[in-house]
Amino acid sequence: MTETTREIRTDYLARVEGEGAMLVRVRDGALEEVQFKIFEPPRFFEALLRGRMFTEAPDITARICGICPIAYQASSAQAMEQACGAELTEPIRLLRRLIYCGEWIESHVLHVAMLHAPDFLGYDGAIELARDRRDLVELALRLKKAGNSLMRLVGGREVHPINFRVGGFYRAPTAAELRALVPELEWARDAARELVRWTAGFDFPDYERDYAFVALRQPGEYAIECGRIVSSTGLDIAVDEYERHFAETHVEHSNALHSTLEGVGAYLVGPLARYALNYEHLSDLAKEAAEEGGLGPVVRNPFQSIVVRAVETLYAADEALRIIGSYERPDPPAVECVPRAGSGHGCTEAPRGICWHRYELDSEGAILDAKIVPPTSQNQKTIEEDLEGVVSDSLELPDERLAHVCEQAIRNYDPCISCATHFLHLEVERL
Amino acid sequence: MHLLRDALPAPRGGAALKSAAVCLGSPFRGDDAVGPEAAERLRAAGVPVLDCADEPTRLLDGWDGLDTLIVVDAVSTGALAGTLHRVDAGSGPLPRDLRLASTHALGVADALELGRTLGRAPRRVVVLGIEGKAFGMGDPMTPAVTQALDALVHAALAELAEEPCTSAR
Repeated sequence: MTETTREIRTDYLARVEGEGAMLVRVRDGALEEVQFKIFEPPRFFEALLRGRMFTEAPDITARICGICPIAYQASSAQAMEQACGAELTEPIRLLRRLIYCGEWIESHVLHVAMLHAPDFLGYDGAIELARDRRDLVELALRLKKAGNSLMRLVGGREVHPINFRVGGFYRAPTAAELRALVPELEWARDAARELVRWTAGFDFPDYERDYAFVALRQPGEYAIECGRIVSSTGLDIAVDEYERHFAETHVEHSNALHSTLEGVGAYLVGPLARYALNYEHLSDLAKEAAEEGGLGPVVRNPFQSIVVRAVETLYAADEALRIIGSYERPDPPAVECVPRAGSGHGCTEAPRGICWHRYELDSEGAILDAKIVPPTSQNQKTIEEDLEGVVSDSLELPDERLAHVCEQAIRNYDPCISCATHFLHLEVERL
Repeated sequence: MHLLRDALPAPRGGAALKSAAVCLGSPFRGDDAVGPEAAERLRAAGVPVLDCADEPTRLLDGWDGLDTLIVVDAVSTGALAGTLHRVDAGSGPLPRDLRLASTHALGVADALELGRTLGRAPRRVVVLGIEGKAFGMGDPMTPAVTQALDALVHAALAELAEEPCTSAR
């Protein structure tokens, strides 16, 4: 019998949070290899940060991603505050949480409705979806705008917010300014419930894995802007202990580093992990919606992450309303942060999962060293393992269909590159 | 200082925009800097430049109701570096051989198409591109591309001048 190799390959991508490529090689009807690799522009930022002042980190790191600048601002600011020995007041912390809710809404809705939903409905993309379901696309765009409005009010603008600083904010919005957002956020909460119902009705591939979930956990709250790092395998550590338990290792096929959890291996960060580890802290409305959507307290089918994102969107709108309802304007809007020699660590829940930062400062506050571990790189190994499983289950599919399933599986993680895979030239090779 | 550029949010209120530009590209990737470089020059000439930070659906509100939208990007069609391309997108989809690079599935071309589907697109869209050659991280701009920037900006201003009710001049 002639040896047959099917090779499905994606080209490199430009200008994304992670540059990516995918290779699936099938030999004689059996899966031989899956490679998923990402180059990480954030690595360049680590070098760029050296020599800059600690106060500049939020503005510089915000540029790493246009979709989730708050994640980078919040993680870097938290690290600097720790390095300075400063503690946020509760009103400032809540304002951070509030702007983060805006980012979750915007980022999740973009992915759920515009990028991922077309996969499940057989559309090429959002444009085709809009032709048939204009109502849903309009709903998603308005939802995104509600998230934008929060970011603009609290952050000064929605694109790379400028009101964010180490210690808090330059200016805190007034209660009246925030109250003006309430009607739209109430609408957004209802609309997000529609999003849950809609996505819950999709057909999901029958695929589950027993993931090692890793997320932040915070007493009494669905952790977003702070917390301890916990896992479904029993890990419970402070943010500054991360490097003792998580390793980044080089793999031959990728310039990016693979993150692993000591004694466990690949792990998963993001909506499925947060949901599984913090389900009890979701609001009643979010839990109701999840239940209505057929989700239990743990979801192990990565394709259902789209429903969990919709639930988290609902939660973010609900939580924003709760924060605004009891808003106490921080005065002053920032705590004083006096630099000292030493290190600081920060970790927050970006829409795609934990975003971990470490900085070393000199006594003047100049950055000596920086390390940023974005969520997409942490999920890299798990994405590869998912692809192995999905491809093994779908070998009978024709190449085009197999490539589509692979893309869909990658998009489960909402990596910035997942969006761009629509642009990829998928090459199938038979030898 | 790139961090200080665009430090202030866009002004609110005032007369509704009649025309604007969207400039795409990365300042760190050689000829892909055509967009950012052109944005700076167009702003200096008083043309409103819309920013979407990697997420073009953010543009849907920005360009809703515009008479003219100029889209500027580096392009790669195999022509000589520095060649100026002009495509009047009219009401049809953007041509595939002028495929605008994008960070996400919904590139600007897709966002325009989505806007048209939803009835939220500029009346007239003109794409101006400069053929690039070097797009690697840290590459310098090709001299021919740098030289073509002036012509591109002039072309953009001329397009906007054609528009009788433009406020961009």
